[in-house]
Amino acid sequence: MTLSIGLLSGHVYALETDFLPDVKDGVVSINIKEPERDVGYTVGDILTRNITITIKKPYVLVEESLPIVGYERRYKGQLIGIDLAKLDYSKESAKEANTHHISLSYQVFTNNVVAKPAALPGEYLRLLDTSSKDRKVYRYRIPSWNFSISPISVFGQVKVESDMSGYRGPLLLDASPLKVRLNVLLTVLAIALVALLYMLGKHTWLPRMGGPFAKAYRSIAKSTHNAEGLQQAVNRLHDALNTSAGYSLFSNNLSAFLLKKPAFQHIQAELAQFFDLSRQVFFEPNPNKSLGEQEWAWLAQFCKQCRDCERGLIPDSVSTSRKAA
Amino acid sequence: MSDRLLADWRQHALTLESEVNKVVVGQSNPVRLITIAIFARGHVLLEGDVGVGKTTLLRAFTRGIGGGYQRIEGTIDLMPNDLVYHTYLGEDGKPHVSAGPLLMSGENLSVFFFNEINRARPQVHSLLLRVMAERTLSAFNKEHVFPHMIVFADRNQVEKEETFEIPSAARDRFMMEIPIVVPNDDAIMQGLMFDTKFHNVDALVDTLRADILQFDQLNSFSSVIQNSVEASPTLQKYALNLWKATRQPLEYGVKVSNVDMNRLVLAGASPRGMSMMLRAARVNAWLNERTAVTPEDIHAVFHETVAHRLVFSPVYEMRRTEIAREMLTSIINVVAAP
Repeated sequence: MTLSIGLLSGHVYALETDFLPDVKDGVVSINIKEPERDVGYTVGDILTRNITITIKKPYVLVEESLPIVGYERRYKGQLIGIDLAKLDYSKESAKEANTHHISLSYQVFTNNVVAKPAALPGEYLRLLDTSSKDRKVYRYRIPSWNFSISPISVFGQVKVESDMSGYRGPLLLDASPLKVRLNVLLTVLAIALVALLYMLGKHTWLPRMGGPFAKAYRSIAKSTHNAEGLQQAVNRLHDALNTSAGYSLFSNNLSAFLLKKPAFQHIQAELAQFFDLSRQVFFEPNPNKSLGEQEWAWLAQFCKQCRDCERGLIPDSVSTSRKAA
Repeated sequence: MSDRLLADWRQHALTLESEVNKVVVGQSNPVRLITIAIFARGHVLLEGDVGVGKTTLLRAFTRGIGGGYQRIEGTIDLMPNDLVYHTYLGEDGKPHVSAGPLLMSGENLSVFFFNEINRARPQVHSLLLRVMAERTLSAFNKEHVFPHMIVFADRNQVEKEETFEIPSAARDRFMMEIPIVVPNDDAIMQGLMFDTKFHNVDALVDTLRADILQFDQLNSFSSVIQNSVEASPTLQKYALNLWKATRQPLEYGVKVSNVDMNRLVLAGASPRGMSMMLRAARVNAWLNERTAVTPEDIHAVFHETVAHRLVFSPVYEMRRTEIAREMLTSIINVVAAP
C-alpha cells in the first residue's frame, strides 16, 4: 500500500516538472561540493552533496520543490536504491538575489557482486517569477553526480544473496592460522619462562636443588677409584665447601663456618675427618692414596650428608662407618 | 734417629713455652710465635704499647735458651758506635774503651733486644741491618761473629714524634712482627695488678728454669727441622698463590673496606719474606707433631711474617696495621688449597 502511494506521488511530481519551462540562463548560479571520492561506496554508506544556489530576483525558490526525505527514486520504473536520508536547508537574502544552502545526504541501499555505476540523482527545483502577472513557474535542474558502488566481498567467494539468513551471525574471518600461531608463541613463551626460572634458580628445578654438594655428589659418583680420582673427589668437596662457606674453608676456620651454617653442625665430626683425609691426600709426604672401597663409600656418604645439610635436612651420622672402614 | 731428635727437641720447645707462659701470662700466642722464630732462626719485631711485658718476655726466653742477652734503648742521639763500644776515663785517669752491647757477650750473644728501634737514626738501622743479615760486625780490626744471635726489636706505632720510620728494607730483615697486647682476660689483668710476683721482674724471671735449650745447638737443629718437614706440591702451589695475591690482590679478588685496591699495594711480599714464612710454617708443623706443612701451618704465621713486608701507598700508611690485617685475612679467604 505504501509502495503504491510512493509510486503515485513520484509520478505526480514528474508530471509537474516535466511540463515546466527551464529558467533562463543567468538567473541561477550553482556551486556544488561533491563527496571526496567517487568509488568505494557500498550498501549503507551515506554520501553528502553541499549545494549553494544563488537565484537572482525577481525569481524566488519554491521551497516546496526541495527534494523530500525518504522519497524512493526510480529510473525507468526501477528503484535505483539511493534514497535521500537527510536534508538541511538554509537561505540568505540579499538585495539582488537569494542564496540557498542545501545539504543533501543520500544513503546507498543497493549493491552488486561486481562494481556497479550509480549516480546521485539530479533534482528539479521550481522557481517563481514574481514580476510576471500570471506568476509563471520555471524549473531548474541540479545535475546528477556519478559514482561507483563497490561489492562487499570479492566476487565468487561469498554469495551474500544466498546467505542472508537473519539467524546466521556476521561473516567471520578464518582465525585458525592465527590461533595456531598464538598457541605456538604461547608455548615458546612458557618454555622461555621455565628456562628463566631455571636460570634464576641457579640452574636448579627446586629452591634447594643443584647446590654445590649435589653437584659434587654427582661428580664423586662418577670418579674413578684410583689415587688421581681420589684427589679429584676430595678437591671437588673442597670446592663445594668453599662455595657453601663463601670463603676458603680450612680446619682452623671450621667453627666460623658452623656458626654461619648451623645445619652442618650435625656432621661436625665428619667435617673434621674430611679435613684429616684431605691432609693425608694432599699434604702428607707419603699418603696412603689408594683407599679401599669402604672409604670411597664413606667419602660419597659424607658428600651426601653435606648435601642433606645443604637442603636443610638432618643427615644420619656415619662417623662410625669410616672408623670401621 | 732424626725422629727421636725431633721429638726430644719438640719436648724441650714445649717445655720452654710452658715455662715462659708461667712468667708472662696471657701471651700464649706471642710466646708460640717467638718459639717458632727461635727455631726458625729469624729476627723478631715486637709491636706494642709500653709496659705490656715485652722485655720480660725476652728475658724469660733468654733464660730459657741460654747465652748472652743484651739490650739497648733507641734514642734520637744514638750512634752506630754506641752499639759497638763505649769510652770512659778509668780510675787511672786514662781513657779506656770497652765493648758495647753487641760485642759484650761475644759469640755467645743469643738475644739482642733493641728497644724502641724507631727512635734510632737511620745510621743505626743501617748497622743493625748488616748485623741481622750477616751476623757479623767489623770492629777493632777484627771480624766479630754472632752465629747464635737473634735480634728482637720493638717499636711503638702510636707515637710518631721524634721517630724514624724503619725502611721497608730493614723491616724485611725481620722474620716476624708480633703484636703484644694487653690480655683481655679479667682474671689475668687482675693478677698482673695484684699478684706480687709480677712486681719484681728479676725475681720473676729467675723462677724460670734456666737453659732448657742449648742456644749453641739451635742453628744446627733448625736445619734438621727445615730438612725434615716437607712441603707437598699442593702446599707449594698454595703458598705461591698466597704470595702472588700479596702482589696483585685485585687479580685474586682481594678487598679491603674503604680502600682503593688499585692504589693500595706498591710492593707485595718479598722472596726473602715468603722463604721466611715457609721456614716458620715448617717449625709450626714440627711443633704440632706433623711431618709436612699444611695450610693451617702457614695461616699460623702468615700475618706475622708477611704484614710488615707489604709496602702500601703513603696515603694508607697511617692505617697500615688495620689494612694489612684485613688484606691478609681476605687473601686467606679467597685463595683455596687445594
